[in-house]
Amino acid sequence: MGINKIISVDNLSFKYNNKAVFENVSINIFQNKLTFILGENGSGKSTFIKLLVGLLDVTEGNIFLKNKEIKNYSFIEKSKIIGLLKQSHKSVFPFNVVDVVLTGLTNKIKLFPTKKDYQLAYETLEKVGISYLSEKNYCELSGGEQQLVMITRLIAQDSEIFILDEPTAHLDLCFQSKLLSLLKSLLSEGKTIISVVHDPNLAFIYGDDFLFVDNKKVFRVENGTEPWNENFIKSIYKSSFKQIDYLGKKLIIPDFN
Amino acid sequence: MNKTFLKILFYLIPAIVIVASVFIGSSTLFSKKEIFEYIFSGFQTSNQTLDSIIFNIRIPRILITFMIGGTLAMSGNSLQATLKNPLVCPYILGLSSGAAFGAALSLAYLTIPIQISAFVFGFIAVLLTYIISMKKNNVSTVTIILAGVVVSGIFTALLTIVQFFSDPFKLQSIVSWTMGNLHNSSWEKFKIAFIPILVGTTILYFYKWKLNAIALGDEEAKTSGINVKRDKLIILFAVTLATSSAVAISGVIGLFGLIIPHITRMLVGVDNRISMPFNFLFGGSFLLIIDDFSRSFFDFEMPIGVLTMLIGAPFFIYLMKKNNIGWE
Repeated sequence: MGINKIISVDNLSFKYNNKAVFENVSINIFQNKLTFILGENGSGKSTFIKLLVGLLDVTEGNIFLKNKEIKNYSFIEKSKIIGLLKQSHKSVFPFNVVDVVLTGLTNKIKLFPTKKDYQLAYETLEKVGISYLSEKNYCELSGGEQQLVMITRLIAQDSEIFILDEPTAHLDLCFQSKLLSLLKSLLSEGKTIISVVHDPNLAFIYGDDFLFVDNKKVFRVENGTEPWNENFIKSIYKSSFKQIDYLGKKLIIPDFN
Repeated sequence: MNKTFLKILFYLIPAIVIVASVFIGSSTLFSKKEIFEYIFSGFQTSNQTLDSIIFNIRIPRILITFMIGGTLAMSGNSLQATLKNPLVCPYILGLSSGAAFGAALSLAYLTIPIQISAFVFGFIAVLLTYIISMKKNNVSTVTIILAGVVVSGIFTALLTIVQFFSDPFKLQSIVSWTMGNLHNSSWEKFKIAFIPILVGTTILYFYKWKLNAIALGDEEAKTSGINVKRDKLIILFAVTLATSSAVAISGVIGLFGLIIPHITRMLVGVDNRISMPFNFLFGGSFLLIIDDFSRSFFDFEMPIGVLTMLIGAPFFIYLMKKNNIGWE
């Protein structure tokens, strides 16, 4: 059984206000893997995933989602294949948490949501472990709680691919590891997960595959090199790191010596 | 409170307000009992004055008032949710100044009916606002309000020019129109506005659930399967169709479409599936009650726009102080 590519980026270039953000990027992302995207602040990670979900249009080249060009999908079709969690989300209106989660089911709801849809929303809240927030006012939650609600919404959407932009950014250590274990468990349901993270160690502990964004390119580490290689990480983050071993995993720490 | 009880109240109050309004008016030519008998006999009576006042004056006025109050409230709510902005209402998008200019033009110079002229210019003004705020086929939240303010400014300036060159008698009717008027309601006016309002509000009703998803953010809505650009345009079209028809027959009823959705949110919450129909029923009842006041307390016709401000604003301020609405 070979590895299937689920997203295929072909010779992509993207310009924003006439400034090149990406030039001739070609890369595949594989099905049923937990792929992490790493790179410096401002390197274009968020832009890259917005291109992957079709929120931004490519300037040149193509993005194929399951062998079909992304721009040829309708919104409903696309939402069944790919879902997005943005870096942060604010709501103007103080909705109940369960109503926020319910909007994740939009592509299943014909005209108005039914009791069954509500049940599904509650079940998903339970699955993520935040049932206690169900009837709370979304606007009054902390940033981390809001993040968890939006993650629940994404899981309720039940697309084949989940793309997350720094899902751990507002979470405390406990929920960081809980979330990553949850994402891991979604793999066993056949999902594909692509996530931007800031902390390379979280990526190296939980990830299957790693993409790096630097200098208008998106790439993998060269064959024969490990992503946690000190020199490679130094080239990505422009700063010195030391590699350490822990329980058979390679981790990196800032070089404070 | 009990949910079923609330639901009953939901439909019962508007019905009571509508029926009670039939009994309210300045005429002393007949008793309440006579009106009661007249209604229960299926609008049969030998009293011509009664028949004419109730059937040809009061009932169309009540229906028009209710319809307009409901439309303005529901449209305001739709716009606030769609544009994720609690400060917008149909009038902020230029509708009222466009329609006022159209009405003034018709009153002063044109031979076309005032309703049609008001409708056309109201529609043109909102259309202009959309076109100006469109950027890369997308309507942004901030620019649409800026564009609305600019377009309003243009039409207000044009209105001033028309007023400046009108003779005093025409000027008086122009000013009265811009303050909102329901006193010359008729079945004819009802018929003009009914169909476009029915079409507009029905479209909005069916969007009540999608409005929740759109209100939470355009990108969130897009990635969960909503064609946001298309749906926004449909909603804006429905709002414009319904409100310009309302303005065309009633004149400008200022800030009603802004305030009522806020009062509604404080009463029933932000879920648009509940607040959309509630806005229509509550907005309709509220405007009707204000009009009933005007009909029973004054022996002259106070423009409804003035009363909605004088009664609506303190009520709004009271609720605003009492409830934490959560806008920061």
